[in-house]
Amino acid sequence: MDQTELKAKIKRALLEELDLRGKTEADIDDAAPLFGAGLGLDSLDALQLAMAIEERFGVTIPEGEASRTIFASVNAIAEHIAQAKAE
Amino acid sequence: MPRRERIAITGLGMVSALGLGREESFRRLCAGERGIGPVSLFDTAGLRSQIAAEVRGLDVAALAPRGEAADWSRSDALAFVAAREALTHAGHVEGGPLGLALGGTTGGMYETERALAQLPKGQIRPQDARRLLDFPLAVSVERVARALGSVVCSATVCSACSSGAVAIALAASWLLSGRVPRVVAGGVDGLCQLTFTGFNALGAVDPRPCRPFDVSRAGLTLGEGAACLVLELESVARERGAPIIAFLSGWAVASEAHHVTHPEPSGERAAAVVRAALAAAGLEPGAIDYVNAHGTGTVQNDAMEARALTRVFGPELERVWLSSSKAQIGHTLGAAGAIEAAITALSVQRGEIPPTAGLEQPEAPELRHVRAPNQRATLRAALSSSFGFGGACAVLAFEAAEAHARPLSWQGRASVVISGAASFGSLGLASGAGCVGSLPAADSSAPMPTLDPLSLLDPERSRRFGRASALVVATAERALRDAGCDAAATGLVVGSAFGDVDRSVRFLQKLFEQGPKFASPAEFPQLIASTSSGNASLYLGLRGPCLSVSEFGTSGQSAVSVALSLLDLGLGEHVLAGAAEAHDPIVDGVLGADRGEGGGFVLLEPEATAGARGHVPLARIVLHRAVRGDAAPAFVELGAPTVPGEACLIRGRLPSAVAGALARSGWGSVTAYDLPARAGYHEAQGAFGLSFAAAQIAAGRAAQALLVTADVDTVYITRLEPVHGARGAA
Repeated sequence: MDQTELKAKIKRALLEELDLRGKTEADIDDAAPLFGAGLGLDSLDALQLAMAIEERFGVTIPEGEASRTIFASVNAIAEHIAQAKAE
Repeated sequence: MPRRERIAITGLGMVSALGLGREESFRRLCAGERGIGPVSLFDTAGLRSQIAAEVRGLDVAALAPRGEAADWSRSDALAFVAAREALTHAGHVEGGPLGLALGGTTGGMYETERALAQLPKGQIRPQDARRLLDFPLAVSVERVARALGSVVCSATVCSACSSGAVAIALAASWLLSGRVPRVVAGGVDGLCQLTFTGFNALGAVDPRPCRPFDVSRAGLTLGEGAACLVLELESVARERGAPIIAFLSGWAVASEAHHVTHPEPSGERAAAVVRAALAAAGLEPGAIDYVNAHGTGTVQNDAMEARALTRVFGPELERVWLSSSKAQIGHTLGAAGAIEAAITALSVQRGEIPPTAGLEQPEAPELRHVRAPNQRATLRAALSSSFGFGGACAVLAFEAAEAHARPLSWQGRASVVISGAASFGSLGLASGAGCVGSLPAADSSAPMPTLDPLSLLDPERSRRFGRASALVVATAERALRDAGCDAAATGLVVGSAFGDVDRSVRFLQKLFEQGPKFASPAEFPQLIASTSSGNASLYLGLRGPCLSVSEFGTSGQSAVSVALSLLDLGLGEHVLAGAAEAHDPIVDGVLGADRGEGGGFVLLEPEATAGARGHVPLARIVLHRAVRGDAAPAFVELGAPTVPGEACLIRGRLPSAVAGALARSGWGSVTAYDLPARAGYHEAQGAFGLSFAAAQIAAGRAAQALLVTADVDTVYITRLEPVHGARGAA
């Protein structure tokens, strides 16, 4: 899977799992922060996202601080998934 | 007639992981014993926590009346044991009329899960689905009421983890208003996989037994149980010579409107609820000697709670004993508020306080934590706090029997008006007097609504709302807007018959098929009985008491009854009340393809409150009766319409005895609107009918409107008339 395809899949996961109604893949910037000011997501969304990424991509997300770096942006999530798959 | 009375606790019943009765539970609590161990009721493999505070030795079959054993859930049995013990304790031998109010969150979910696990994977066939609807939340009250006998009024309330405390406050209002001389009030929740997996998915559970207020605390430990209090007016208890255990001297119920699972971190809103309970009881912080905390053991709750208590008590706090019982009997969710009320009342009576087990290094050492077993202290007055999901807060105040507790003033029910209304039906969403056009013509084959309620809400703030929640929030919002009152001073009572059955089933099917690893943390808070009221509180910013009530096909009318009781208690200046039911593949499949959807909400407030803010109401409630059993006397009391030509009757599906009594009352000849035929059959049709009735009055189409609905053993009668200078008269 190339990076563009992976990022599109991540965005679909975000839209569906976090119920971002009225938003499309085009509304999510690859580099923009997801939490806090970005999409207005909170820690409950982070838990949901961690579960969904493991279910959809077969990649575990560590708990706590480490997950913050991974969830920084779509780019960061894609990087983590690619890295985990490579290992 | 104005009355000054105190509310006496004359009986207590308790079932917990530490014992199948009050004395064993309380003795072991005070001794610091813990009832936490490996879960035996279901498989916990793969979950973060595998422990819980289970009630051992509960023989459901032996407790259920003959022939009912297969239909009783563990929750039914837990509630019955606690209610029976409380009545025996109170010396209730003469079998006089009783009120019964129970709080809970999951009802017979454990049995529903067992039934679901028996079904083949995939799509559920209607004939198989019936068993999944056999244990709705309201069923425990019905089973316990029948087993106890002589229950004349009842309610099932859910406000997440404060449910049990709210049921107790509600029951107190029934005593003060003279509705019934004696009540059994409490809460019950049995363990089930839905809550166990849900709290695990949220990461809110500690793999080790929980340690409230400790620096190393890492989450809660779930538990199960039930407790009931027998409450009577002091005069009634004294007259029959019943010993008084303690007084229930005040209460407060309110919502934080902050977050679906997180408490408001500063503790400011929780502190306001504690202060309100003290004010209701006429107590200064200096009079309180003990607080039985919510103390779940989660990082957020305990820190918030310590801050809230510091805000209220200031330097006094170093004098006030504090403990949480959850490290011994677990977090019993809907039962917790009642179990901890019972513990607090016993502590006040006996001068013995249970410790916070597992507390080794307090995060806030300045608090006076009870650390040692069998701590003795004279307690003049004490508080029990409950802070639930969705910011549902309730605080109860207790005083020693020998204390000079301040009598509560009861001025009689204020004249209550309907200040706003909205209805959601096949013709769309209507509000105010516009609800007159909400009922399809009698000869039309009413089309099912095509309006998506979610399309009426802000997408960002309504994320994850199910269709039922969206219907509730969209309709309640219109009623609130029609009334034009301040959301922060408004409460909400939502009648809910079944909830989102399909969504809960899908959550459980995924759990059974894929294991707990992929249980959705964000989905779980949307699956509890008080989901709709919690969502509405957050979305609309409602900070009054927000809760759900459950009563099958009359849930909307039960919501109006409970809302009137909240106004009686002065809890919330304005209260929204109503119900909305949505299509659900499982419920529709079982109840039939003709099941519709929709609902209605009205905003209720005292006439004086509406007047003070210069608002012209739609109608006045001149009579509201909820009758269990023989309804004939209520129809006699109702009397005939004064001007039959200007009266209208709105009725649900009525049993023949009720229809007969109604016909004899003189209301048989007025213009009648049949809800099942015109509003589409669903459990919230009565709530739809009330908005329609208020609009009929406001639009000047009727000088009197009567709404009659019935289901199972309860009949509701509501009569509306115009308010002087009302909208319709203009």
